[in-house]
Amino acid sequence: MKLTRKQLLVGGAAGAALGAAGIYELVDKLADSPPSDAVAARLPEQHLVDGMRVEKQEGVEVVVPLRHHEVVTARVVAPRGQLLDARASLAAVLAKLDADFSSTPDGLGLTVAWGLPYFQNHVPAAAGVHLPFDRRARKPALFDAVRFPSDPDDTLLEDNDVAFLFRSDNEENIRAAATEIADRMKGALAVTSIRKGFAGQMDGGKGLPKEMATAAGVPGADLIPDGSELFLGFTSTQRNTLGPRRIVNFETLGLVDLGPRSYFHGGTHMHLSHIFEDLEAWYLNQDFRDRVNTAFRPRLPVRPGTQTVPQPPSRASSESDVRRDYDRFGAIGHSSSLQPASRLQQDVRGSDGTLYAKGTAIPQRADFNTLDNPFFWSADPKRDRMGEEPAAGLHFVVFNPTSDDFHRNRLAMDGVMPGGEKLVFAPRAAGQGFNSILRTTHRQNFLVPPRRHRSFPLVELKS
Amino acid sequence: MAALALLASGCSESKSQASPECRDVMTGACAAPTTCPQSWKAGWQRLANRLHTTVYCPTWMPSPIDAKIGGQWDNGISVEKDHSYLVSFLWHEPPSQDVHVNFRGYPGRTKIPRCEDVEVVGGKVRRTTMPCFSDPHGKRRLGGITATMYTVNRGVDQWHILYAWHDHGSLYAVSEHVIKPLTYAKVVSNLDRMVRGLVRVKPAT
Repeated sequence: MKLTRKQLLVGGAAGAALGAAGIYELVDKLADSPPSDAVAARLPEQHLVDGMRVEKQEGVEVVVPLRHHEVVTARVVAPRGQLLDARASLAAVLAKLDADFSSTPDGLGLTVAWGLPYFQNHVPAAAGVHLPFDRRARKPALFDAVRFPSDPDDTLLEDNDVAFLFRSDNEENIRAAATEIADRMKGALAVTSIRKGFAGQMDGGKGLPKEMATAAGVPGADLIPDGSELFLGFTSTQRNTLGPRRIVNFETLGLVDLGPRSYFHGGTHMHLSHIFEDLEAWYLNQDFRDRVNTAFRPRLPVRPGTQTVPQPPSRASSESDVRRDYDRFGAIGHSSSLQPASRLQQDVRGSDGTLYAKGTAIPQRADFNTLDNPFFWSADPKRDRMGEEPAAGLHFVVFNPTSDDFHRNRLAMDGVMPGGEKLVFAPRAAGQGFNSILRTTHRQNFLVPPRRHRSFPLVELKS
Repeated sequence: MAALALLASGCSESKSQASPECRDVMTGACAAPTTCPQSWKAGWQRLANRLHTTVYCPTWMPSPIDAKIGGQWDNGISVEKDHSYLVSFLWHEPPSQDVHVNFRGYPGRTKIPRCEDVEVVGGKVRRTTMPCFSDPHGKRRLGGITATMYTVNRGVDQWHILYAWHDHGSLYAVSEHVIKPLTYAKVVSNLDRMVRGLVRVKPAT
């Protein structure tokens, strides 16, 4: 099935784009959604979705990702004197959505995250007092994103005030919720971008990423292995590579000073970026062995054709493992290089009483594949360099306890170890994990308040 | 633009210079060829004679190129000491459109050759060798040839899809570049057609 351009891209106003599915309508045509028997519940955290299915794939426990994803970013345009009204309006519509949809895969996962410009421009005094502080980094827990060594010079560092992350197995729920928020918040929020995508649920057949990419005519699509969860052919959501539920909360690992009233207790940090993936280069220049070396670790023994490669805590790489691979092979694997920064280096008793064992993953990834180029819709197509053709990519969404924690992870991917040692690579060198086939177009860091403060946080403390 | 127009055409391209075996076919369907096209034969015969080995001559080539050694699209022949050979044909449209086909033969051996990779990491030069053709994607029966498709190839076959097969103790391969204006599917279809139409050219005694 080849799609027409009209089906691929929807132009015009944000409202029309929010109500349109474009190519992503195909997601539901290509896959059946299994029913969820999860019980609806309201957690204090916004970033958690209840009732996620866990299945065994190739003998490994995998968290089944949600099928549909959407991110809507916006600027606050409400006049200064009307922020409290805006807060009440958004709180009301969010409460209604909570009532309409369970926070489960067949309902709606909705996360509202706020960018540094919001705190600096709209609630600067209260932010100075209440924004969490990263004790380890000796920096605020939320700071501006940067271009990393392997990023192109033209990666855009964004300045949105707010981002809404919608996740569901039912696309209609996302469409209804996004439209409702946009309608209700007219005059208070101005949409800056809409980003859409999907993840495969490994439920047989060719798999959603391959079907979608092939339908869109994306170069390299035919070479995606049948049944893979993501374009790059490996399963990304195995249980051992995702942080346990509350590990990324500001308070859990003790990295963060929550300030005098612990206003953001139960909150976390979110990084959002868009990355183009060169599927042709991945599948035509790197054979399966190379792809394992690149995605995981050089010489990791893996049976040809494997998609779900076990990564238990006991096999997490240390800094010295990564250094050894670099010395021996001139290469570091993506997962391996990240693990000294992204896995606990010793047992930690969390503030929630849980004992998090050495080797446990910290970040909770919520990334999803996309055919946006780079966005589904942009208020500023020139600035965002909107392209006409669909393009293989990833909207990378990840929750970490702080901006610094995310930056440590991302720097490790470029060969900068948590201890500060730099493994020298040319930017996007073949030995530097995935970087040679990735091109990041946009980045921004956000703070995710707890559910009780998700609407215009700190506005009520302004006076 | 003329070249692009040719590339956009379907089976009618069979009647172009790129496929002389179809010139007389009035139905539009090409008859299975049995001999190396007359205008291409001399070059392939010279190659077979020079190597004292059988080589494969194509009877169809993707438009706009042909397989005339020494012709307009000839991108060079190289012959190694072990008599392995590479015959290459290329159409290039700046900035980045190609139709590029390589024919290879490794007389007297069937093992996939190894290619050297050189990288500079942290100021050190690292040399490694790896199979020149890898990531096999199954076998295809095409005419009298059973070829294995390889999707990851090195050296001048990088970015190409390559079909390789054995014949009388020798390894042969044909590859085509996956690059605009061609898609992966079109390259596979081209390779199917090229390999199906290959004919042996034996050295003249």
